[in-house]
Amino acid sequence: MLNIVVCIKQVPMVNELPWDEKTGTLRRDLATGMMNPACKRAVEAALQIKDKQNASITVITMGPPVAEEVLREALAMGADRGVLICDRMLKGSDTYATSFVLAEVIKKESPDCDLILCGAYTSDSETAQVGPQLAEELSVPAAAYVENLDISGRTLRVRRLVDHFRETLEMECPALVTISMERYEPRYASFAGLNRAFVERDIAVLNADALGITAASLEARGSRTKVRRVFIRKAQKGNVMITGAAANAVGEFLDKYQRKISAVIGKSIESKNQT
Amino acid sequence: MKERQKSIWVFGDYRNYYQNRVTLQLISKAVDLARVIAAEVCAVVVGHDIEEWIMEYTAHGADRILAIDHPSLTSYSTEHYLVLMERLAGERNPDIILIGATDFGREFAPRLAKRLKTGLSADCVGLDITSEGLLVQIAPSFGGNMLAEIVTDKHRPQMATVRPGTFKEIPHNYERTAIVERLPLPANLPVSRVRVVEYERAAQKGHTIENATVIVCGGRGMGNKKNFKKLDELARLLGGDVGATRPVVYAGWAEHDALVGQAGKHIKPKILFSFGISGAIQHTAGLGEANFIVAINKNPQATMMKMADVAIAADASDLLNNLIKELKKRIRD
Amino acid sequence: MQFDPCMKHKLIRNSARNFAETELAPIAAEIDQQRIFPRNVIAKMRELNYFGLQVPQEYGGAALDSISSAIVVEEISRVCAAVGLCVTVHNGVAVYPVLRFANTSQKEKYLPQLAAGKVIGAFSLTEANAGSDAGSVETTAVKNGTNYILNGTKIFVTNGGVCDVALIFALTSSPVNKLQSSVFIVESKFPGFLRGELEDLCGMRANPVSSLFFEDCPVPEENLLGQLGDGMKIGLATLDNGRIGVAAQALGIAQGAMEAAVKYAKERQQFKKPIASQQTIQNYIADMATQIMAARLLLYRACDIKDAGAPFGCEASMAKLYCSSVASKVTGLALQIHGGYGYSKEYDVERYFRDARVTEIYEGTSEIQRMVIARAILSQPMM
Repeated sequence: MLNIVVCIKQVPMVNELPWDEKTGTLRRDLATGMMNPACKRAVEAALQIKDKQNASITVITMGPPVAEEVLREALAMGADRGVLICDRMLKGSDTYATSFVLAEVIKKESPDCDLILCGAYTSDSETAQVGPQLAEELSVPAAAYVENLDISGRTLRVRRLVDHFRETLEMECPALVTISMERYEPRYASFAGLNRAFVERDIAVLNADALGITAASLEARGSRTKVRRVFIRKAQKGNVMITGAAANAVGEFLDKYQRKISAVIGKSIESKNQT
Repeated sequence: MKERQKSIWVFGDYRNYYQNRVTLQLISKAVDLARVIAAEVCAVVVGHDIEEWIMEYTAHGADRILAIDHPSLTSYSTEHYLVLMERLAGERNPDIILIGATDFGREFAPRLAKRLKTGLSADCVGLDITSEGLLVQIAPSFGGNMLAEIVTDKHRPQMATVRPGTFKEIPHNYERTAIVERLPLPANLPVSRVRVVEYERAAQKGHTIENATVIVCGGRGMGNKKNFKKLDELARLLGGDVGATRPVVYAGWAEHDALVGQAGKHIKPKILFSFGISGAIQHTAGLGEANFIVAINKNPQATMMKMADVAIAADASDLLNNLIKELKKRIRD
Repeated sequence: MQFDPCMKHKLIRNSARNFAETELAPIAAEIDQQRIFPRNVIAKMRELNYFGLQVPQEYGGAALDSISSAIVVEEISRVCAAVGLCVTVHNGVAVYPVLRFANTSQKEKYLPQLAAGKVIGAFSLTEANAGSDAGSVETTAVKNGTNYILNGTKIFVTNGGVCDVALIFALTSSPVNKLQSSVFIVESKFPGFLRGELEDLCGMRANPVSSLFFEDCPVPEENLLGQLGDGMKIGLATLDNGRIGVAAQALGIAQGAMEAAVKYAKERQQFKKPIASQQTIQNYIADMATQIMAARLLLYRACDIKDAGAPFGCEASMAKLYCSSVASKVTGLALQIHGGYGYSKEYDVERYFRDARVTEIYEGTSEIQRMVIARAILSQPMM
């Protein structure tokens, strides 16, 4: 049976979060969470493998207690087991630390896993670093931004389009793949699935101690970057404001900038009313 | 005792040359940074038949080129490049390594950072350096229009990836010279665990959003998919392309390849129309090279409005319809 | 007393909302204008258990508790009330009586298909002369051999245009009891089952509401639900349950209307500032939010009592009465806040206004609900 691990993240459902001036951090607690869209596609990719062959899917997430929501959602979609790593000590981890912690979980909970899937990037930090760094921690072959993956025996074949190059790569399991947003449209969870996810399935909750991670080991293997300060970006262009009824605003805009626009589009846009 | 020569390395990502020239842009920035700490700028070029790039990087500002040329390195292999860079960096201890945030770079850089046990910030929109040589990495902070200053204070080298178009390249000067070290391929290079089955340059659409001179970009302020689709008409009238923000792509109003912003296509239009976009940094960070920006938003205080050359306070969809109507009346060849 | 939603309810709400926003929001206005029943979206809903919300797992349902079920109806109705109506009628007044009153062989025959949505259900009591006065039903079911022959006309049947199974309330008078009524499970493929034209209604226009005509329609005796004469009993129990569903629907409509109004009030500028800064508009918003909050708590309370197995008729009536009245008020205010644009079909609020209005009428008018509640209060022993 194929043993698949999917690392998922709960991200805020909004595009902008309020800023806490005092602590210099984002008020993430004010936003409803959702499963990061690329992570959801990674879950879907795992489910599509399970649709075709005997497989077991474990979903893992590192976050505050409320992150359990995304594990339950993944279970409702069809995953088999959920693991939540939750510890105050891990708050504010950068990708370097996160990949270290996730690796420790995988080594403990799914040491003989065959395939690790991650979303290519998150909608909040968008660094796309955790997947590749996790591959390094686990010392497994990896490919990022994968659009399509096939498993045959222990051989994994992936297809991707990167920097305008179409690549088909092969590697042996265990391997790690990050899934892009191109394919793997996620299935909806059925209500029966959602109900079962709360009634039948249990989620393992681990803290740093359970993983053998101490403040010292986190210092040695954890975050390398530090946020020195955060600031609001200044407006860049001295701008001209046009107001008024739409039709008038359009006329004013086109009259004022007709030369510039005409030069770019190669056509005249002089008003027929003008001489 | 002679002080160790400081160096700022730029990884030569050349297969993306025709699209983005990001390596050249990073060399240019490295030259600026190097001036502050009296460092040399070193471009690392790994591959096969790489003379062209050695010349280009020299002409665009590199003081030194570290080149490894071997037939086995013809197509990009992340694993091989990781081993080679890890060894080179281990031997020579650069202070800073800059890598373009291409698809390749965004996978390669974090893995290299892990191997070198150092910190990395991704998609920087700005870089500064203190006189002590601390690289200040300015990257978007989740939350729309906040930026964060990030430093790797305790570990070296300091690493950052930078989006194409963030910095401007120095014009080439083929009179320039650089120290070119042609290094041999190490004998004990491990076999890559990832086998390349197929590797080809993808057929590109002639007219893509990346080469568009006019881009008509829409955000959630368009209201719904039907309204959003009308942007196609304006784009056609102006001979341009339609772009979309991430929320709009996630809502299914536009395909993923229309995504404009940090994680999307790198654009450099002469005119950019921004309809119903608030101006979250993840979007605006991708607009660096837009020449003339026209923003339309109900909210005159929206960030995008402040970033525009012309800001029109109006309902995006309403104004779009009026603009299309008026342009149809006016346009003649 | 637990007031905050538990994680399960939160995820169920997110799931239903996500589906509604993705699949129904883009088409809701069009299907209302053109009166189109969105078959392809209904097809997607089948696999996700929208048609077997509270059916036990062994029959292929989701086995949800009543609050979860109400949340699903609420979220669908928040985007497209007509489809919310299809779901709540199917679950609330077609599946429910089968669950409660059917015998084992009836359950085994009909529940799996109903739960899978392969078969859409309807419940029909109303006739031209029998609206609130349910006792004046004229449809008859006369025993003939092993069949009951059904004759009569039912009007305003929700899901009428597409239902495959309808529960029909008919007179089965006996010499002893002239006004005895019973309920039959009638399949649309029985001969003599005819559908009328689709009604052209003010709201819920994407729901295929029609009359059903029965002309000597033979219904096998094994399709009698419960016992002969159980009509009133089943009817009343079913309406109690149906009221929870309609209350959820009304709540969803109110919620959607309020959200639209708040968004509009923040964006619309008059006198150089958003209208949301005007005190009158703020008063409207405060009233809408408070009424919706109260309606929600009333609804969930009724659900809780039902799930505890206690009689819930009075609370269900209160929920239906209040939620529907809130829906009318809130959608009216929401339209007013939108001003002239609210009157135009370019904005959704006028559809919410039209959809809300019927929630005070069907499944028992507000007048009937007051009757039910008053009777319950008056019959309580004095302290």
